[in-house]
Amino acid sequence: MSDMSIAITNLRKFYGHTAAVDGFSLEIPGASVFGLLGPNGAGKTTTFKCMLGMARQSSGEILYDGKPLVPAMFERIAYVPERSVLYDWMTVDEHVEMNRRAFANFEPARANELLATFNIDRRKRARTLSKGMKTAVMVALAFARNAEILVLDEPTGGLDPVNQRHVLSLMINEAAKGNSVLFSSHQIGQVERAAEHIAVMDRGRLVLQGLVDDLKADRKIVEGIFPDVTFTLDGIANDPHVARADRTERIVRLLVTADANAIAARLSAAGAVGVRVLDLNLEDIFLYAVSPATATTDIVAKESSS
Amino acid sequence: MPAVLTVDPRSGVPIYLQIIEQIKRSIALGILQAGEQLPTVKQLAVDLTVNPNTVARAYRDLERDEVIETAPGRGSFVRANGVTESPRVAAEIGGDALDVALREAKSVGLSRAEVGELFTAALQRWYGDLEK
Repeated sequence: MSDMSIAITNLRKFYGHTAAVDGFSLEIPGASVFGLLGPNGAGKTTTFKCMLGMARQSSGEILYDGKPLVPAMFERIAYVPERSVLYDWMTVDEHVEMNRRAFANFEPARANELLATFNIDRRKRARTLSKGMKTAVMVALAFARNAEILVLDEPTGGLDPVNQRHVLSLMINEAAKGNSVLFSSHQIGQVERAAEHIAVMDRGRLVLQGLVDDLKADRKIVEGIFPDVTFTLDGIANDPHVARADRTERIVRLLVTADANAIAARLSAAGAVGVRVLDLNLEDIFLYAVSPATATTDIVAKESSS
Repeated sequence: MPAVLTVDPRSGVPIYLQIIEQIKRSIALGILQAGEQLPTVKQLAVDLTVNPNTVARAYRDLERDEVIETAPGRGSFVRANGVTESPRVAAEIGGDALDVALREAKSVGLSRAEVGELFTAALQRWYGDLEK
């Protein structure tokens, strides 16, 4: 049990003139599963590389329990990269042996047990493995390291649903033991199931973070239908908890970040009928966080309507 | 006991609330008895493949509501009064469902009298004739 927290402050990483990560700050609590979401190119992998010392940040700092990364920490952090780092010409068995020699806490028996769970033939050379099998091998090697922090970049890439579920169960087990798991995935359903906290990155910045359950409890769509098109919103769109207002003819949809019922009552008072409060799942919440405000419907100007 | 619990992570309802609702329902229905032991946080997290802290949060709220009690080192149990209170839990579940239905009815513009008629008809359908 380690319960090690990670603090990322003002992280910036430029490649030439392009900022892959552009002023990103985040606290990752210990003993938990943390999901990092974002569209392709949002900066997730670059963030992971800076955390692991595989890329040097242009500015900002990353602290583990208040201390910067030092080589002695490498033993305590396991990483599954998005792309295979297995050696094509080596067998799976040889990778197990290599990890045994490299990491003091590596348990070969545990690795073999996990490889069997994933139905991997250990005599095979990495070259002959499918993308999903390579992912499974890297996951098995990482979870046999007895690391306190696991950083997993798309750890279910190419895996079938049964093996995806194995990976999620492994992550849950680690959190239950007091270890920290930080993972990225495009499979939002997995993040929704396994992660306690999430952060959403977009174009190198943090656009949303919180407890999955709290985000779902707070973020709602409040929908109202007005009797005719000439309605006014009485400034409801200016409420600090209204993040976005979409208006199409007689229907108004508000994305609210808290107080959904109070805002629904204000909509009724403004003359709307058929007022509903709709739940959002994590995919909806994610899409609202990363899609520009000019989505599919007309936007109500956020100034007072009168 | 865990067999009766399932969560739908894709639902907009927070997972910890789904767990709370189902444990309360199991008590109201007598599936969980007074003094019965609940799975540990870790066990339930593994069974449901959800984050242990999410399960711990549900258990904390259930303790606060005096539905379950946790003895350090022994585990969590359905409180003795949890069962004598099963009518209260049942009333709470039914009340919440009625609330949702009435809000919907009001939002589509039904009057009190119209809702009353619908309610009487529904009562007749589910509960039969009034006993003499």
